[in-house]
Amino acid sequence: IDVNRDTYESIFNCLTIKRYIPTQDVTYFCPFTGALRGTVIITNYRLFFKCTDSEFVLDLPLGVVSRVEKIGSASSRGDVSYGLVCKDMRNLRFSHKLMEDTLRKSIFEVLMKFAFPVSNGLQIFAFEYGQVFPENGWKVYDAVSEYRRQGIPNESWRITKVNDHYEMCDTYPCTLAVPVNIPDEELKRVSAFRAKGRIPVLSWIHPESQATVTRCSQPMVGVNGKRSKEDEKYLQAIMDANAQSHKLFIFDARPSVNAAANKMKGGGFESEDAYQNAELVFLDIHNIHVMRESLRKLKDVVYPNIEDSRWLSNLESTHWLEHIKLILAGALRIADKVESGKTSVVVHCSDGWDRTAQLTSLSMLMLDSYYRTIRGFEVLLEKEWLSFGHRFQLRIGHGDKNHTDADRSPVFIQFIDCVWQLTRQFPAAFEFNEYFLVTILDHLYSCLFGTFLCNSEQQRLKEDVPKRAVSLWSYINSQLEEFSNPLYVNYSNHVLFPVVSLRHLELWVGYYIRWNPRMRPQEPIHLRSKELLAKRAELQKRVDELQRDVTNRSASSSSDRAGSPTRSITPVQTFV
Amino acid sequence: AFAGNDKKKTEMHFTTQLLTFFPAPPPPPPPPPFVYFPGEIVVNEANFVRKCINTENNQDDLWGKLICTNFKVSFIPNDDPHKRLSHKLLGEHDIPLTCLEQVVTVNDTKGKKKVLGSNQKLKFNPTELILYCKDLRILRFCFNEAGPESARKVCLAIGHYSHPADLQLLFGFEYQGRRYHEFKGERVNGYPQRTGLRTPFFDRSSDWDREIKRTSASEWRVCSINEDYIISPSLPEFIVVPVSMADQDLKQYSLYFTDMRVPLWCWNHHNGSALVRMASVVDPLTQRKTDQKIFTAITRSHPHRSEVLKSELDKCLPNILEIQNAFIKIRQICTLDPFEESEERWLSTIENSRWLEFVRAFLKQSAEIVYYLDGKNVSVIIQEEEDRDLNCVVSSLVQLMLDPHYRSLIGFQSLVQKEWVMAGHRFLDRCNHLKKNDKEESPLFVLFLDCVWQMMNQYPAAFEFTEAYLTVLSDSMWIPLFSTFLFSSSKQREFAKNKAIPSAEDPTLYFPSVWEWSLQYSTKDQTLFNNPMYVGKGAACVQNGEVKSFSRTKQKSFSSTLRGSATSLRNGLRGGEDTLPRRGSLMSELKPDFSPAKDESPSERYFKEWFSRPADLHGLLIPVLMPSHMALWKLFFLRWVPEACISKGGPITAYHKLSQLVDEIEILRSQLRQYKGASPASTPLKGQRGRPSEQRNMYFRAYSPDEPQTPPDYLTSSFPFNPAGNLCRRYVYGTPISKFLNGARIWLSTETLANDTV
Repeated sequence: IDVNRDTYESIFNCLTIKRYIPTQDVTYFCPFTGALRGTVIITNYRLFFKCTDSEFVLDLPLGVVSRVEKIGSASSRGDVSYGLVCKDMRNLRFSHKLMEDTLRKSIFEVLMKFAFPVSNGLQIFAFEYGQVFPENGWKVYDAVSEYRRQGIPNESWRITKVNDHYEMCDTYPCTLAVPVNIPDEELKRVSAFRAKGRIPVLSWIHPESQATVTRCSQPMVGVNGKRSKEDEKYLQAIMDANAQSHKLFIFDARPSVNAAANKMKGGGFESEDAYQNAELVFLDIHNIHVMRESLRKLKDVVYPNIEDSRWLSNLESTHWLEHIKLILAGALRIADKVESGKTSVVVHCSDGWDRTAQLTSLSMLMLDSYYRTIRGFEVLLEKEWLSFGHRFQLRIGHGDKNHTDADRSPVFIQFIDCVWQLTRQFPAAFEFNEYFLVTILDHLYSCLFGTFLCNSEQQRLKEDVPKRAVSLWSYINSQLEEFSNPLYVNYSNHVLFPVVSLRHLELWVGYYIRWNPRMRPQEPIHLRSKELLAKRAELQKRVDELQRDVTNRSASSSSDRAGSPTRSITPVQTFV
Repeated sequence: AFAGNDKKKTEMHFTTQLLTFFPAPPPPPPPPPFVYFPGEIVVNEANFVRKCINTENNQDDLWGKLICTNFKVSFIPNDDPHKRLSHKLLGEHDIPLTCLEQVVTVNDTKGKKKVLGSNQKLKFNPTELILYCKDLRILRFCFNEAGPESARKVCLAIGHYSHPADLQLLFGFEYQGRRYHEFKGERVNGYPQRTGLRTPFFDRSSDWDREIKRTSASEWRVCSINEDYIISPSLPEFIVVPVSMADQDLKQYSLYFTDMRVPLWCWNHHNGSALVRMASVVDPLTQRKTDQKIFTAITRSHPHRSEVLKSELDKCLPNILEIQNAFIKIRQICTLDPFEESEERWLSTIENSRWLEFVRAFLKQSAEIVYYLDGKNVSVIIQEEEDRDLNCVVSSLVQLMLDPHYRSLIGFQSLVQKEWVMAGHRFLDRCNHLKKNDKEESPLFVLFLDCVWQMMNQYPAAFEFTEAYLTVLSDSMWIPLFSTFLFSSSKQREFAKNKAIPSAEDPTLYFPSVWEWSLQYSTKDQTLFNNPMYVGKGAACVQNGEVKSFSRTKQKSFSSTLRGSATSLRNGLRGGEDTLPRRGSLMSELKPDFSPAKDESPSERYFKEWFSRPADLHGLLIPVLMPSHMALWKLFFLRWVPEACISKGGPITAYHKLSQLVDEIEILRSQLRQYKGASPASTPLKGQRGRPSEQRNMYFRAYSPDEPQTPPDYLTSSFPFNPAGNLCRRYVYGTPISKFLNGARIWLSTETLANDTV
């Protein structure tokens, strides 16, 4: 058991955590082991269960809870039960004797209160969490320096402050990179033609060919096929910014039917008549509702137990891997256009904050090895997901009891899954390990950090999140060792072209099946390679010492042997 | 000529053929002359033959000569820029005749097709020849420019010679006889010299004695009643039996068993329990009595005189026919079915083949037996009708799980030698080398290798060898030179020797074993068998006390709050069994009357406990048996499929990095050794990097300072194999997207292919 013995006592040391009713004689129905008796403590951050007869503990951040249910007191023995449905692929069930009715109420109410602070007018725990870390994660991303890293501004692209106060688009960041020859006034006119004002802006530029990845929302074409001269000119400018190609690819993430259906609501897609030299491609990725349903089915298949027969066909029927495949396939097509075709691409879906974020960030991960470092990946998330307004609050429903909300969807989980798929195909290409990805997903729900709160940069600023909460990157960057992949080889010039086929896509068992105790934490390769790295470092040290020793001795013993080399051994590169 | 070529090839890489990927190949060297082995003769040949590399277009196809010898089908390209052999016996375009599964001739224009066997006629002129190989390759040759007569002749020759009428027509007999006379001088005491550690063959009593000693099986003895195979034709000459059983009794008991196969000792647990394999009793009437006698003797050999458990494998495992059918299906899915079209239903199609289900069944059955031997401390008899198929798989898997010795390279080879070769697995029939009886063909050995791979996949540091080794071992079954895979019993193996010598002057003729890897691969290439992560007694890089044990790095935790959330990862750590119905709504899952009490079988509890502890790689190793943990062995099944080949990726990139790391450690070690005896005068010389290259253990060497910017091109998920031209599938040299678009019709409506060929 990973939890140290002292955890139980030390949990409450942190001042910000308020302790609530410890309840004795609670039964936790572990789906794997059966009933366990113990004590439950609920705080404003977590639910903690400690088994009386064994080492077993269950420690659940309340942010993970999606729904709490009373399960009727039909039992003749007068037990009351609570079921917790969690966002991280598990269900938990507790019960205790109904000794006094008030007790039952209080547990239920406390759970309802602290698992859903937003619904109860309380603060999310992240705002109370006062831990100080050596690193400040809020400093990881700075839009201007990230653009500078990419070589922006340059002769074709400039940084505009047109959205400095989020007037043009309240879901976009304040710093945007746009083509040089489009003045701010025109940008505003373009924004009128794009859903939610999300105009095409630069995500990434190829350091050599200058081919770019740009992102936006759908054009407001509508049933009448409206056109916007400014928008057409704008896309032409994006194409012209890349001298290598006289073509522009517009990747619409949606299935063409869905894109067409959006015309009824005023949206739609670019017609190739209006946009000369542009080619429109639909990537057939389904919407947030389809994805939510797919993950729900997946949970049915993997939790709590996997049936002995028909595992693969059950998995197939969830379509989860098929969706993963379509997203990766889209990202691969984008990366290939930019890298091999030297052609600029525009990516959008309907609003440009879900599928678009998945596609741009995955293709950037394939194209630019910087994003495969730990810091680079943090920058990628801060940029493509957080600053460009992926609606985390809405998609995850932090602290909100409305678990049936149709706006919830595992878009970001899907993205992290895709990243994991890439790390499986290219085990040496990423600086981070699997634990890093799992940690990100855990704290996506935990509400311990401020990183994934709110829906946009503007909201986070308004809520003063960076001042009032801790960044997840503060925690991660303060102990990088935990999250780094010892197999990592820093090839500076390596574009990843994964094989997007079910032959290589796998279910991420380390995440989706991790609650199953039979899924033992495998003897991980990275642990073994860490040993080897440490071994090498130690040997190197000893060789160096002996080397110094010998050099000193030879220097003192004979002064006439002038040719004695000061460093006679080819140093073996050390990068522990 | 063969010996002379040997030396040159030693330095060549396994993978030079992968130079295909380089944009500008060096100017082609003049094509080397065709290499014949002693005893090899050309039967027929055709010129101006085209080997298809790509199904879509023929611009990459190779022109050359197609040759059929009594050993192989060979294709000699006219100008092949990368024509260099790495395999010492076979070239890139060679297929041994025994490796041919089916020889199909086609006439495009007439729409005719014929499968060729021996002594057949062909009523049409073939325009195409398709060779389906047992190592899962599919090769296609076109005869448009070749003379119709020579095309027809070479096809008929291939059909004929791939269906030998008799065992002695296999090339091994020809070759060994000749070779023997050439190399007689090199041998000592009738046995060839073997360098390094020797794999015990278990063809002599001393090997068994050592094994008895190693496993402290003091109550068991070597018995030689079957010397000269006088008792059973399928048993080896030396077997191990309980000490309480006299030779006389054994001779008597042998009459009761199928094929006179008395029970064979396989292995002893240090707690005294023994694993014994046994054929079925012929006469049901004597069954009980015989069982009783055998049980008593085995019980007597147990230190606690504990009971004996008999596991009848015929009753709980798939039979050889089912296994063969599963293999045919999964092979079809992986290599024949169109790539894109089969994507949608890939998972269920794989499931329907039942291959993974069978792999899991064998592992599960073996784990169950491990429970009895280790957890219950009882001896186990595995019984099967003939004791020559399922028993081989299960007994070797049980030993692999229980005894870390068998996870070393030599240990593994001795295990195969003991439980397959000596126990009389009918390799000749199961491989169907003579293509006489398809009903006898069954890939049990491949199934076993797949099971080993599953364990290796779950415990990557527990095995000394790699999946490349397992794959190459499976391929060696189809080279008709190794006594290991040519025969069905020791007796047959023994008697074959005599027949192979043209003039029988020396009865101790030597047939090589597959374990003589130097016949196939250079020393350098053999280092691909070494797992850099291996944690074992002889492992080069750890466990010699130089570094303290590395426990999992303790998490630097900044607050209890955090630690809590991180550890919540491990909810329900304790192992367990299915207690909740999986399907249905939350309400039904959480029924108020839900009773968690569950009858847990003792073996379930045993496994649960084992899984709750960290695995000791030097000890017992049980694979996770959940269906979600049975994976498709991609290197084996998909290595020839160009669409599935991850360029600059795949598990090999991790192997690459780890090998370099271990190589550096080796270099540092040797530097340290040099320093230890060093006086100032003997300071190590500049640039001296470790041992001479032929003694290095790792295929990939430590970095040089000028490290490349990108991963080397030859690192692909198919490494060390190359899909090009081996599946006559579209092979893509262009951009990844053109590969992706192949068959992806849904996109073609909005985008033309022309736009993609940038």
